[in-house]
Amino acid sequence: MRIGLRRFVVLVTMALAFAVPALGHVGSKDVFETVNAGPYKLFVTVRMPNVIPGVATIEVRASGSQVNSIRITPVPLTGEASKHPPASDAMKASATDPQFFAGSLWLMASGSWQVRFEVDGAAGAASAGVPVAAAPLAILPMQRSMGIVLGVLGLILAIGMAGIVAAAVREARLAPGDVPSQSRKRRALIASAAALVVAGLMIYLGGKWWDVEAANYAQGVYRPLELRTALTGNTLDLSLGGYNVKQQRWRGEPKDDLMVDHGHLMHLYAIREPEMDAAFHLHPERVSDGLLRISLPTMPAGVYRLYADIVHANGFPETLTTNLNVPAGMSTAALGPDDASAAPRAISQGELGTVYKLPDGYSMVWDRPEKIDANTAYKFRFELLGPDGKPATDMQPYLGMSGHAAFVKYDGTVFAHTHPDGSAAMPAMMLANGETMGEMDDMPGMQVDMPDGPPSPVVEFPYGFPMPGQYRIFIQMKHGGVVETGVFDADVQQ
Amino acid sequence: MMKADMFSEGFMSSAASHPGVVASTAGAATGVEARRASVPWYVWVGVIAVTSATVGGAWDVSWHRSIGRDTFWTPAHMAIYACGVLAGIVGVWLTLQCTFGRDQRMRDASVSILGLRAPLGVFLAGWGGLAMLTSAPFDNWWHNAYGLDVKIVSPPHTLLILGIRAVAVGMLFLILAAMNRAAIQGEGSIGVTNFKPLQMLFLFLGGLMVGGQMFFLQEYTWDVALHQVSAYIALAIGVPVLFASLSQSSRFRWAATATAAVYTAFIVSEILILPLVPAQPKLGPVFFPVTHLVPAKFPVLIVVPALALDLLWQRTKNWKTWQIALVSGVVFVAVVTAVEWPFASFLMSKASANRFFGTIYFDYNARPTSFDRLRKFYEPDSGLTLWFGLARASVYAAISTWIGLAFGKWMRGVQR
Repeated sequence: MRIGLRRFVVLVTMALAFAVPALGHVGSKDVFETVNAGPYKLFVTVRMPNVIPGVATIEVRASGSQVNSIRITPVPLTGEASKHPPASDAMKASATDPQFFAGSLWLMASGSWQVRFEVDGAAGAASAGVPVAAAPLAILPMQRSMGIVLGVLGLILAIGMAGIVAAAVREARLAPGDVPSQSRKRRALIASAAALVVAGLMIYLGGKWWDVEAANYAQGVYRPLELRTALTGNTLDLSLGGYNVKQQRWRGEPKDDLMVDHGHLMHLYAIREPEMDAAFHLHPERVSDGLLRISLPTMPAGVYRLYADIVHANGFPETLTTNLNVPAGMSTAALGPDDASAAPRAISQGELGTVYKLPDGYSMVWDRPEKIDANTAYKFRFELLGPDGKPATDMQPYLGMSGHAAFVKYDGTVFAHTHPDGSAAMPAMMLANGETMGEMDDMPGMQVDMPDGPPSPVVEFPYGFPMPGQYRIFIQMKHGGVVETGVFDADVQQ
Repeated sequence: MMKADMFSEGFMSSAASHPGVVASTAGAATGVEARRASVPWYVWVGVIAVTSATVGGAWDVSWHRSIGRDTFWTPAHMAIYACGVLAGIVGVWLTLQCTFGRDQRMRDASVSILGLRAPLGVFLAGWGGLAMLTSAPFDNWWHNAYGLDVKIVSPPHTLLILGIRAVAVGMLFLILAAMNRAAIQGEGSIGVTNFKPLQMLFLFLGGLMVGGQMFFLQEYTWDVALHQVSAYIALAIGVPVLFASLSQSSRFRWAATATAAVYTAFIVSEILILPLVPAQPKLGPVFFPVTHLVPAKFPVLIVVPALALDLLWQRTKNWKTWQIALVSGVVFVAVVTAVEWPFASFLMSKASANRFFGTIYFDYNARPTSFDRLRKFYEPDSGLTLWFGLARASVYAAISTWIGLAFGKWMRGVQR
C-alpha cells in the first residue's frame, strides 16, 4: 500500500547515499514509524539530513480521529535539555489531503533526539515522539562551477585590494587637484605588488584554515563502532570498540551502555555472501564490558556479512558490520529459542516471488506493490498462511512483536532491521514516549505494539527504500512455537 | 599640504593648532563657506549605514543566542543588509560624480582605480561590499557541506566580517578625507568649516569600530576568561592599534576615551534594552529556558586605559614614536589589568547578578555545568605564568601602539 503523496521535498544529497552509513541501520538514514498520539494514529516519515546541524524534513499521514493541526519540535531524548523543548512549529496540511502534514526542523547537534508531535483534533490534544538519531554522515564536495565562481570572486578581491593600496599610496594624501609625482607612482606600484603578496598569503592561510575545519568536521562524521570477531570452535566472540570518544561523545559511552532491545542486547543478522542464500537472526549474550558471545548453530560454510544492531543508553542506535568466515563443519548445535534462520534460493537463480514456501508447509505471502519507488514511504504487508492456505491461527509474538523485517540490498550497502511500528529502535521509542527503562528490563519480550490476544497473521512494516536497486527482504513471524523466516526480493525503481 | 612628520608637531593639540576649525561666528560665513560648512548628505548616509550594520550585528548575535533559528527576513538581517544598500547608493553616486560629473572639486578630491574615480573610502567600501557578496554563496555552501556553523568565526563568516568592516572603514575614510581637507584648509583662517561635526561623526564611527574589534576579540575576553593571560594578550594586540590610529587621525585630545566610551555605551544600552524583548528558543538542545533576547556580556572596561593613554599622549607629544609606543604598551596593559581583573571577580559574584551588569543572562544552549552558568573563571592563570604573560602583553601592546601611531599619522594626510 502506497502512502498518499510522494515526498515533495527532494534531498539533494541522495546521490551520496552510496557512501553513507546510517544510524541504527546501514545506508538507510530516514525514519519510518507509526506512532499513536492518544486517539490519533500517525505514520511519520523523517528524512534526515546528511550534515549536522542540518534540516530534517518530516511528513505525517494521520488516521484515526480527525486531526486539525500538528506542531513539531526537536528535543534530545535524554539529559537536561530533554526537559526544555524549544518552541514548536506548525506542520503544513496538504491542500489536497487534509490529513497529510509536512514540516521541517533544524537538528543542531549530533546525538539521540526525538521529534515531538503535538496533535490537536476532533478528540482533543495529544502528543507523541519519534526518536531520530542525528549525526553527520558525509561531507559535500564542492561543485566545480561553485569553485570557479568563488575563485574568480576571490581573484577580483585580491586585485581590488592591490588597486586600493596603489591608489592610497599614489593619490590619497595629495591635496585636491594635485597630480601624483613619478616617485609616488613608483611607490604605488611597489605597494600594490606587496598587497598582492599579502592577499595571496591571506588566501593561502585561509585555505589552510579551511583544511583544518574540514578535517575537524570529518572527525565528527559518523562511523559505526568497530565490531571485532573471534571464532573458536562454534563460539563467536564479538567485541565492540574503536572510535574517538571525545569527538563522538553524543553516541553515548563506547561499550557498556547497551540497552535491552526486545529482550536482547544485540540483534545479529548473519547473511551469507554473495548469494544471500543463508540468513540467521541471532542474539549474542553479554560476557563483560564491550564483549558479547554466542554459540553458533549449524551454518553452511562461507563468508557471512554480519549486521549487529545495538542501542546505547541515550537511545542512539547503531548497526555494526563486519565479515565472518564460517568453516565447514563448524557446528552441529541447534538454533536458540529466540533465533531464526532461512535458506532461500541464491540470488543468481532468479528473483523470489510473492509467495515463500516455508519448510513446515506454511507459506508467507507478500502483498507486493506493482512498482516500488526509492525514497517513498510504504507499508509493506505480509501474511502467514497455514498448510491449508488459510490465514495461520496459532500466531505468537516473536521477540515481543508481531513480526521483524530486514531489508538488505544485494550489495550490502543497505541494511535495515525494522518492526511493525517502524524503523526506530524500540528502546528509543520507549524513551521518547515515556516508558521507563525499569519496565523494559522487567519485561523482556514485552508486547509493545499489540492489543490483547494473539497477533494477527497479517503484519505491516512501514519502510522506504533509500535508493534504487535489488533488495532481499527477510520477514520473521512466529506461530505454534516456530519462528518462520519468509524471504522475498524487491526491485526498487528510481 | 600636510607635512609628513605631523606627528612630531603635536597631534594632540588639535584645538590649538586648528583654531579655525572651531565655529566662532556663523553669521560671518559667506555663501561658499556656508556650503562648505554643512556635512555632505552622503557622509550622514554612510554613518547611518555603519550604525545600522552595527545594531543589526548585535541584534543578530542576540537572536542566535536566544532564538537560535532565523530566516533571511529577520529585522536584524535587514539592518545589516541596509548597510550594504546605503553604502552602495553612496558609492555609486560618488563614483558617478567623480568620474563623469562636472563638479571639478569632487573630481579633484578623488583617487583613480582602473579609470574609475571616487574617494578612497568609496573603493574600500566597494571592496567590502564585494567581499560580503562573495561570502554569501560560500557560506551557503559551507552550511550544506559542514552544517550550519555553530561557530561565529568560520572562513566564510570571516570574509563577511572582513567585508562589513571594510565598508565601515570605507565610510570612516570618507569622513576622514573631508575632515582632513577642512582641517588643512581651515588652518589659520577665520570662519566656519565643517571640521567639528565631521570630527564628531568620525569619533562616533571610530567608537563603533572599537566595538567591532571587541566583538572579534570576545572569544578570548568572555568574562569567565578574564583571569587568563590570553584575554589580556588579545586586548593588547587588538585595542591599542585602534586607539592610537584614531587618536592620531581624529586630531582630538580625548579620542581614545571617546571611542571607548561609544563602545561601552553601546554594549550597556544593549544590556538594558534587549532583555525587554520577549523571545523563545526555536532550536534545541535547550539547557537554559530563555524568555527574552539575550544581550552581550558587560563591556570590558577599556575606557579606563583609554583615558590613561589620552593623558599620556597629551604629555608626550615631543617624544619619539617608539618611546611613546613603549610606554603606552606598559601603561595600557597595567591599567587594563588593574581595572579588569578585580572587576571580573565582581562579575563572577552575586553582586553583579542584576539587570545592569547582566550576568543573569545566558544562551539557551548554555549547559548547567558550563563555567558561564556556574559563574566560575575558566582555568585562571597566576604566579609566573601571569606575570610573564602580562609582560609579553605589554610588548604586544607597544607594537600595536606603534603600528597605530604610524598608520594614524598616515591617515592624517588622507585628503581624498
